[in-house]
Amino acid sequence: MTTRGLAGSPAWKLVGRRLVAAVIVLWGVTFLTYAVMSALPNDTAAGLLGLKASPAQIAALNRRLGLNQPFWVRYWHWFVNLLHGNLGTTLEGQSVNHELATYLPVTMELLAYALVVSLVLAVGLAVLAARKPNGAADRFSLALSMLGLSAAPYAFAIFIIVVFGVQLGWFPVQSNALGTGGVGTFFREATLPAASLGFGLFAIYARVLRGDLVEQMQREDYITTARAKGLAPWRVLVRHALRNSMFTLITVVGLNLGALIGAAAIIETLFSAPGIGQELLNSISNHDVPMVEGIVLVFAIITVAGNLLADLLYAVLDPRIRYGSSSS
Amino acid sequence: MAVPAPDTAVLVPGGPPLPSLLVSDRQVRMQRIWRAVKLWVPLGVVLFLLAMCFLLPLVVTLPSPTNGDILAASLPPLSPGHLLGTDTVGVDELSQVVYGGQVSFEVAAAVTAIGIAVGGVIGVTAGYLGGWIDAVLSRVLDVLIAFPALVLALAVSQGLGPSEIHVIWALSFFGVPVFGRIARANTLVIRELPFVTAARLSGTPGWRVVARHVVPNILPGVVSFGLLGAGLTIILEGALDYLGYGIPPPEASWGSMIASGQQYMSAEPRYVLIPSIFLVVVVVALNMFGDALRERWGAQ
Repeated sequence: MTTRGLAGSPAWKLVGRRLVAAVIVLWGVTFLTYAVMSALPNDTAAGLLGLKASPAQIAALNRRLGLNQPFWVRYWHWFVNLLHGNLGTTLEGQSVNHELATYLPVTMELLAYALVVSLVLAVGLAVLAARKPNGAADRFSLALSMLGLSAAPYAFAIFIIVVFGVQLGWFPVQSNALGTGGVGTFFREATLPAASLGFGLFAIYARVLRGDLVEQMQREDYITTARAKGLAPWRVLVRHALRNSMFTLITVVGLNLGALIGAAAIIETLFSAPGIGQELLNSISNHDVPMVEGIVLVFAIITVAGNLLADLLYAVLDPRIRYGSSSS
Repeated sequence: MAVPAPDTAVLVPGGPPLPSLLVSDRQVRMQRIWRAVKLWVPLGVVLFLLAMCFLLPLVVTLPSPTNGDILAASLPPLSPGHLLGTDTVGVDELSQVVYGGQVSFEVAAAVTAIGIAVGGVIGVTAGYLGGWIDAVLSRVLDVLIAFPALVLALAVSQGLGPSEIHVIWALSFFGVPVFGRIARANTLVIRELPFVTAARLSGTPGWRVVARHVVPNILPGVVSFGLLGAGLTIILEGALDYLGYGIPPPEASWGSMIASGQQYMSAEPRYVLIPSIFLVVVVVALNMFGDALRERWGAQ
């Protein structure tokens, strides 16, 4: 997205434009999901009724579920309900809103845990690495982040399950009690799945931040100024360079939020954690369109909101963008 | 007093990091060697694995990757005739790695090629033409990026049945918008450069400017990113196989090897470790090769 053509326009106009674009994107995602799910051959009613169902029974259930209506009509009904805050009912007859309220918190807590820990570790390691480019800490950080980028989360998850769950016995190998119990239960059950999700994130954050920090330290005039003032090197790094590199990190975090649902689906299934990701896999295999739509919508909102927040934060923190001066 | 101006010490604000002036010949040589190592070693690893997967079965007769001898089950690595041993039903591990690797490489190559071709056309069109065409195409890319492609991949494989070609179509939905964005961003930069303006002012038709000036200049960035994308595709393809939505069994794939070895992980970790190691090595090599190319071409 560019800020060209916005020169001199007030900040709220930019916000307005971004919001309109975000709503259009969200609508596009719901429509695409409905279209894909409907275009694929499926025998939802026959699947629900089992092998002994007569064609008449199947037709009756299809009528009851509204599956005999054309795709446009079904999507329109769903969309009108959505505008009233109602996400419809699942094939089993529960309200999608209720199902989301049940499963979503587990996933959100898991993702928040993974996100916070990987961010803290990544910032720490990147600062250590950037203190002396090509030094020992830097080489270690580069190697570790390359491994994190390249390790498949499911293979890494199995590996840590065996080491920390089976051999050492520090953590349970399944996380099916997540969402019940207190803080102790949460950390015991959530640590391995959060680590599986977080290793890749940590790798991306550490790599991006390290690259940006090194570049800032080598190129920027304000760093030279800070050094010339006689500030201690670590102070220049943390108070000046890191503060600016946070821009890049914020963007990367925002852009990556959406990809987390895919990883969460796999990791939750692997750990049998009762979260929304596992529910997504189930509803896809049952061809439960309203449930799939609900989950997809929630994560599309998170993705779009992440991008929007990154954009807005940028505009708030950097006046050059707010006023639309020449920036790439 | 005339101060001889060292020709390498011109300070350019915001320019590339200046090489220290106190570098010895030996250090320069070492740097050059290290740069070469970073490029050629990963490339060598990728070529070696490609040869292993595609040429080895033509040269030697490998045991079947789908049928095993139950009497020769759970053989350890380095057993006669089974270099990496056999799994719990006696299927040779090496031939599963080889034939599973073929699938991984084929899917990665196809998805990356589709991503570069389709995403490239969308991105260059949007970036070069600008205006409402850019606005529409950019929103389409935004929708595709915000759309959890795993849903699509699983739904396609569930609705149409698992197969290699369906995996390729489904994973292309990951690739196209990402390549599209990169191509668009690079095109926006190239479009403003003087040589493009000169070409336009001299009356060169638009398609020719794109083909002769824009595309060759954005290609390095897109291709080196393509290598990272290929690595990611291999991981995702493995994820689909792992979940049972990818390559239909009994055909071999790395993801399904991991899935089926999972239950023996405590007693016999090698069933998971063998495919996982190949998976990590391939992806690390592709990533490092991509990084080295990017560094060399100065692409973003």
